[in-house]
Amino acid sequence: MSVRKKRLILLAGVAFGALAGLAAYTQQSKPLDPFEEAMRQRQMYLETFGVLPGDLFVEEGKELFYRKGPSGKTLEECDFGKGKGVLEGAYALLPKYFPDTGRVEDLETRVYTCMQRVQGFKPEEIKRDEVRAITTYIASFSSKAKIQVVPKHPQELAMYNLGRELWYTRAGARDMSCAVCHDQHAGQRVRLSPVRSPRQGLGNEWPAYRFEEDKLYTMEDRIDFCYESIAIPKPEFYSDVHIALTLYMLAEATKAGHSFEELPFFTR
Amino acid sequence: MRKVLVALFALALALAFALAQRYLTEEELKRIQAGGKAYAEVFVNQRPDQALCSIHRNRLPADLLPKFLEEQRALIKYPASGKLMGDWRKGGAIFNNLQKANCFSCHYGSPEHLGGDVGPSLEKYGRNRGQSEAVQRYTYEVIYNAWAFFPCTVMYRFGAQGLLTPEEIADVVAYLLDPESDFNTKPAVGSR
Ligand code: HEC
Ligand code: HEC
Repeated sequence: MSVRKKRLILLAGVAFGALAGLAAYTQQSKPLDPFEEAMRQRQMYLETFGVLPGDLFVEEGKELFYRKGPSGKTLEECDFGKGKGVLEGAYALLPKYFPDTGRVEDLETRVYTCMQRVQGFKPEEIKRDEVRAITTYIASFSSKAKIQVVPKHPQELAMYNLGRELWYTRAGARDMSCAVCHDQHAGQRVRLSPVRSPRQGLGNEWPAYRFEEDKLYTMEDRIDFCYESIAIPKPEFYSDVHIALTLYMLAEATKAGHSFEELPFFTR
Repeated sequence: MRKVLVALFALALALAFALAQRYLTEEELKRIQAGGKAYAEVFVNQRPDQALCSIHRNRLPADLLPKFLEEQRALIKYPASGKLMGDWRKGGAIFNNLQKANCFSCHYGSPEHLGGDVGPSLEKYGRNRGQSEAVQRYTYEVIYNAWAFFPCTVMYRFGAQGLLTPEEIADVVAYLLDPESDFNTKPAVGSR
């Protein structure tokens, strides 16, 4: 059975599962802990379908990784930071500077630029969902890996600084900044969600399948989700904004010695 | 007299400098443009008070405080009717709407939604504080512009940033204060 078909069948179940979860949530007088709820949902998927939705994205990403582009090459020809075709632990080092593009890139951007430079796709031919799946496949090789993002190259340092400034900038009609929630109120709850700071490992669970949305979220998607929640228009994918914020968060998580969760993670 | 003038001039200069201060450098703004027009505009148009809070990581130095508070106070406008307490039912719809005011995400006390704990609990706010003119005014002004009381706080400046009209804020004040309001008669979600 093709990965897509499997996903369709699973999706029918997902809609039902999410509803059941919601009903359980509203009927309970004591609010569910979001983490426990995610673990419960995860278990339900495993028992009902024998597979997690995130793993289907991994499979799809693998197919796409070995698909030949217009140039006749697969993504095996792309260097993700540890040499051509080396995927083991590559994600844990990103974002980093790549001499061939002269740019600091996160994994998603690297996939995007390699699909163009190595595989010969035109930017408009590259579907965001495909980049998501490929990113998830590659990130799965860094499941539970220690995060090792240490800016050294001048461009990496500049990117870190930009990320830090963006992190602290109060902006928009709600006067928000990432820091207001994630530093000043770390450990507290916005609605039911516990908020973490970068030093507490913020960002170590992406790419993840979010059962509430029934979608796979990469780090860039997750950053956008927070921007949306504070009414600031989303930045373009693969722009310096996402890369800078990602670099800042993961560099701080590195200093505090954090590791990635099981990737792709399963969360609300 | 001269001395006063000189002092005033120096103060004005310092202020002009503080206000003209930009948080992001030209170079940084240029890279932010890569995020797209809509995104970049938010940062290009950052307000001076926002820049000040960003620069000082939300803890303003004591010497900047009096002027900052005064400026924030000056932003507060009142309903044309002069009434600071409106319709508590309308206020409840605003308080409990995630898209609209989203108060419950930060404050505990709503009988409709479990509240967050980013801000102080407002449970039975009106029952505890009464409805005096001073309480009405304080509540209205905090909601209109929280930065006039708590500089650089996380709470949105609902009136000053145009998120709610003065009339809507008066409705929310009524929701919090009116003894008849569900907020004061019904138990908060999560209370025992
Ligand atoms: C209004 C408060 C608020 C603001 C402002 C905010 N966030 Fe969040 N953020 C949250 C909440 C709540 C969650 C969800 C926590 C959960 O459910 O695990 C979250 C989750 C996240 C996550 C994923 C959670 C994790 O543990 O990995 C990332 C990454 C993140 N935010 C980054 C950012 C960035 C970058 C910014 C600034 C552009 C930002 N946030 C601004 C409240 C906020
Ligand atoms: C993003 C979080 C957030 C939101 C949203 C928010 N507040 Fe607040 N609020 C706070 C914080 C934090 C404080 C305390 C100020 C401080 O110490 O910085 C506060 C203070 C207050 C106070 C003063 C409390 C006291 O004991 O004097 C009132 C009243 C209040 N908020 C009402 C509201 C109302 C009404 C709304 C919705 C229209 C709202 N808040 C939305 C975070 C929030």
